[in-house]
Amino acid sequence: MDSGESLPSYEGIAAAFAKAKAKKEKDEAQGLKSTTADAAKANKQAEVHFKASHSILVAFFTWILFLHILGIYLFTSGFLLTRLVLEHKSECSVQPIDTARPYTVGSSEAGCWHPKTFEKAIVILVDALRYDFTTPFRPDGSEQPHHFHNAIPILYDTAVDHPNNAFLLPFIADPPTTTLQRLKGLTTGTLPTFIDAGSNFAGTAIDEDNLVAQLRNASKKLVHLGDDTWHALFPGYFEPNLTHAYDSFNVWDLHTVDNGVTEHIFPLMQPTNTSKWDVIFGHYLGVDHAGHRYGPDHPAMTAKLNQMNDIIRDMIDQLDDTTLLVVMGDHGMDAKGDHGGESDDEIQAALWMYSKQKRFGRSLPAYRTPPATAKERPVAQIDLVPTLSLLLGMPIPFNNLGKPIEEAFIGAKGEDYENLAIANRLTAAQIHRYQHEYALARGLDDSTRSLPLALWKSANDAWEALGKNEKGNRDQFKSIYSSFSAYQRETLSTCRALWARFDVPRMLNGVTILAFTLMILAFYARGLEGDRSELTPILLTRGGIGTILGAAVGLGSTFAIPSLPWEHITIVASAVGSVLGVSTGFWYIRRRLTSPLPTSIWGWVSVIFTIALSAGFAANSFTIWEDEILLHFLSTFGVLTAVSSLRQTNVTDRVLGCYHSVLFILLTRVASLSRLCREEQMPYCRSTYYASDTSSTSSPWQLAIPYAVALLLPIFIKAYYDGTLSYQGSAIMWLGFALRFGLLLSAAYWTLDAADDGDWWPGKGEMIKTTKIIIAQITLAIALAFGYSTFSWSKPLLNIVTNTKRSEKPSDQIVADGGNSSITILGYSNVHGSRYGLLITIWFLAISLVQKPMGFGAIGIATWQVFSLFEIMDTNKISDTSIGPVVLGLLGSFHFFKTGHQATLSTIQWETAFIPLRTIKYPWSPLLVALNTFGAQILCAVAVPTLVMWKQPPKKKGLLGDVAKAIATHLLFYAVINLATTMWAGHLRRHLMLYRIFCPRFLTGALVMLVIDVVCILVALMGARTSLLSVAEVFGWAKF
Amino acid sequence: MSITNLAAKPRPPATAIDILNNDTARLYTHIHPILVLSLYAFQFRSIVADPVPALTSTLIPLSILQVAYVALCLPPTGTAVPTEKKKPGEKKKQAPGKLESGVNGKIIPAFLSLVLSALAATPLVTVTLILFGAPISTHHAHTVLCGAHLSLLAILPLVFVHGVDGQTWRETVALLLPIDEVYGGMIGTFLGAWLGAVPIPLDWDREWQKWPVTIVTGAYIGYVVGKLMGGTLLKGRKIMFD
Repeated sequence: MDSGESLPSYEGIAAAFAKAKAKKEKDEAQGLKSTTADAAKANKQAEVHFKASHSILVAFFTWILFLHILGIYLFTSGFLLTRLVLEHKSECSVQPIDTARPYTVGSSEAGCWHPKTFEKAIVILVDALRYDFTTPFRPDGSEQPHHFHNAIPILYDTAVDHPNNAFLLPFIADPPTTTLQRLKGLTTGTLPTFIDAGSNFAGTAIDEDNLVAQLRNASKKLVHLGDDTWHALFPGYFEPNLTHAYDSFNVWDLHTVDNGVTEHIFPLMQPTNTSKWDVIFGHYLGVDHAGHRYGPDHPAMTAKLNQMNDIIRDMIDQLDDTTLLVVMGDHGMDAKGDHGGESDDEIQAALWMYSKQKRFGRSLPAYRTPPATAKERPVAQIDLVPTLSLLLGMPIPFNNLGKPIEEAFIGAKGEDYENLAIANRLTAAQIHRYQHEYALARGLDDSTRSLPLALWKSANDAWEALGKNEKGNRDQFKSIYSSFSAYQRETLSTCRALWARFDVPRMLNGVTILAFTLMILAFYARGLEGDRSELTPILLTRGGIGTILGAAVGLGSTFAIPSLPWEHITIVASAVGSVLGVSTGFWYIRRRLTSPLPTSIWGWVSVIFTIALSAGFAANSFTIWEDEILLHFLSTFGVLTAVSSLRQTNVTDRVLGCYHSVLFILLTRVASLSRLCREEQMPYCRSTYYASDTSSTSSPWQLAIPYAVALLLPIFIKAYYDGTLSYQGSAIMWLGFALRFGLLLSAAYWTLDAADDGDWWPGKGEMIKTTKIIIAQITLAIALAFGYSTFSWSKPLLNIVTNTKRSEKPSDQIVADGGNSSITILGYSNVHGSRYGLLITIWFLAISLVQKPMGFGAIGIATWQVFSLFEIMDTNKISDTSIGPVVLGLLGSFHFFKTGHQATLSTIQWETAFIPLRTIKYPWSPLLVALNTFGAQILCAVAVPTLVMWKQPPKKKGLLGDVAKAIATHLLFYAVINLATTMWAGHLRRHLMLYRIFCPRFLTGALVMLVIDVVCILVALMGARTSLLSVAEVFGWAKF
Repeated sequence: MSITNLAAKPRPPATAIDILNNDTARLYTHIHPILVLSLYAFQFRSIVADPVPALTSTLIPLSILQVAYVALCLPPTGTAVPTEKKKPGEKKKQAPGKLESGVNGKIIPAFLSLVLSALAATPLVTVTLILFGAPISTHHAHTVLCGAHLSLLAILPLVFVHGVDGQTWRETVALLLPIDEVYGGMIGTFLGAWLGAVPIPLDWDREWQKWPVTIVTGAYIGYVVGKLMGGTLLKGRKIMFD
């Protein structure tokens, strides 16, 4: 209150001042611009002042973003598990343990540690070859075979018909089940850690000892065909003129990679060419892509598996006697064809080995038939590493933890326990050596692995008792074999536990930084009286100086004491400096400080919603059912605003408020029908996002949704503009034409996409593909290029008409114009809200393009709800409370689920990257995936400033400060969620469900908060600047 | 939710409902919640075992209890006399023919409220339940029965004391009435049902977590707590939103 501060509180004078001020304001408002002589100058000054205030706000929120990054980085670096990568390499000439039998070690020609069985190998990786694809379908009651059943019988048939030439086993992956992680496991024999899961977009070279490196060291000629992930992992390892790599990320392309592999692999198998290579790695992607695109239960999957079947049959025909043929899956796929998690369907792949020689055996006659399900006799994927190493005469990679596969070493008769025992002893000895070095490097004492050590000792004693060169009998070797493999098993489980090794101090400091940043935000958003744009400079200056001083002190101290980890100390010191600095800032303006605790029901409801949701993330059930909880909260909010509307004395407010509240609830419930269930929600959830539970394509009727949205939503949005006669100027062009056209185009995109998927017009596939990409690009251009230009250069949505009669409409501003005529300014009463609101529709268009048809509908509903929310805020006069920004946070989170996402890795819709592009292009591809994943939250964040602008008078004071307050409150909501999920993930780091539930939720929370930070700065705050500047250009400046 | 003492309001001075000023009413109003809870506790096992028939059969004793409660303890609509008029020591008016006025003035309105709450309120409450996330394509009988129980608990006494006056009902829904045991019972029922949704998602694998057992349980407990609080601690207070 200006008058309160600047004037003596004598009532008479104050009253006189108020009267004079009111008259002045009325005068100013009447003549659109004040007519005083230096008005232009004053206006110019005000504009400069506004721009400066705005820049300071941008800087302040960037500073908050910076603190968030520090906190999340520090926590993540301690939380996402790390395994110490040892640089040691196994050497051909150095056996891990003294030679078992008279055998000359060190010749890779005969076999380094053990006589080799095969000269050459062809390793075929069929991506996502699930175990039950390969076994015959056994009907369970009345169950019908699915499309993926009985389509690739060759593996099973050869194993049954020629058990000494082939065997088929379930092949269990260690999660995360992403291809990059699996390739690491399959070549190094070690366990994965979580952090690499996200690096699938850009793999990094493996620097620890692995099978491919060993082969290369032994001067073997390696050829790779297929998925280019191999080249990221093993750069320069393969024969350049024979190797052909293909882009692995275009998951909508089922054939390019596969045809490429087939085209190049068969010529290499010709007898004239076999001398050119020693090992071929062929990586087929079609099955995986068919799964991603259609789901396993689709004719395309049958076709793909049949094709694989034929290829393998041809390979068997052309194989020579000294070559080993391996066919395997790196992971499975879930019911929708996605993978990444640790469900049974995702980890159960198949492994099949074949040779023309009779090399393979079974320890029991019953084992001649491959296991019916993956639960029986499974082998781990890391077991491939020692198996292949010994079969090809290579040393076992240093970090391997797997064990030799029984079938490959037991001999054709199934009797050769001696060979099996020797192979296992070698492997166990290498594991023992590795464990010893690891314990040394990590400074661990033996107590952590006392059990494995005891097993090692007893196994070794049994071996020693046998004596060198002495012929042991079958049972002795059998028992030695099982003692060494017991040691391997125990070590593996010790390692699994050990590598859940968290850096707790980092995690704690990260959480502390996030907590303090949250408090800063809380005080800034809810604990300050007065205009934020006036108070921000002091906070920013002090906070910023604190950050720099803290960073300097931190860096300095690490120079003084070099043993301290410099980046940890610097981060903590700059965060502490920031908090101290900003605290002095708050102290300086302490008169403006109030309690951030809520005072009204709306404040309490905001707090309860946020805290209840956050507390719930401590329980896996509440995390799993987050979508339903959000529905419950949003409905509660709608009921509360309906109740509040009924309390309004003004009948129009009451009716409008009730109408929009009920509409809000109904829309929430309608949107809730779009569901993509996560596995843990089964069987209480039915997915509707795609055509069926086992598909990832939309059903034909869903294609109507985008058209319905395109036809109806512009009309509905127009209605919100019509209410205040704000459908003027650029709005007619944008809402009436461009938005409609853009939405229709993106609806057309999804129809073409379905046509392409379903092959509706055979032979036109390429044309459809080109057309749809062009359409997508045009739509994005309409949204972001045309839309943003409209938004930037649009005048406020006003129209001036001269009437002879006085208009009676309440929303008009009537100016006496001398005689009988009057001027009516149409759109005057919502000049801010209508102007900024255009930005929401621009982002609506851009986001809806990257959502599948069902998500298109959800985003449409979200936009509609956002506009209803503005009306609810206005009619209930609660735009100043915290409820608006918080409900936008809830709404964004809710529609995150309604656009076909869950807080799991497997629901990321990677294929979005290919909507407007043919290939991966940085930075656009990750941005598109982000726009798809966080589209709902982005849309709601863009809408935040409108909450405080909707139906506000043109020259309302402190509007920029109000925008900052609303944005800060919105960020506060996400910051609380992020802090809670971070804390719970850290606290429950030993929980069984950590990787399945808590870790993905933590990652989602952290990513959402960073994305929303950025969107609030770059879109919301910058949009508010454009909008407020353009309004002020017409109406002149109030003191913002 | 801040609750302050009843401030002077310009228009219809809605006052808190007092229970009838006789010994039966004063006694039964305390027995009633015990009976309601006992009924539910007695039926709980069979409701958990098979909700639809058990909830249906529980409706009849619940209706009898609620009708008895309103008839015995509450002033029917239109007869509530503002308490200010009663001065201490003032003589009560002689009531005409006790049985006749009992049937005309109590029993019939009580049954009318039963019919109204069963027929008019149940669909509304059921729709609200669905909007809050109740299954939309399955469990229809469950949801309707849940709505019926909520209506009988929350709405029946309200209809009895306030009738069908639109303005009063707007104020009722707008939470503008002063709190008394009837109003408190309604708020308690709905708050209890709201909180009853909390245990549903938990992975405890208990039989009672199935739809709509927790909601109904929450509603019964909420009704009793709300009625108790409304009749004592919070009586006469008003709910303020700001």
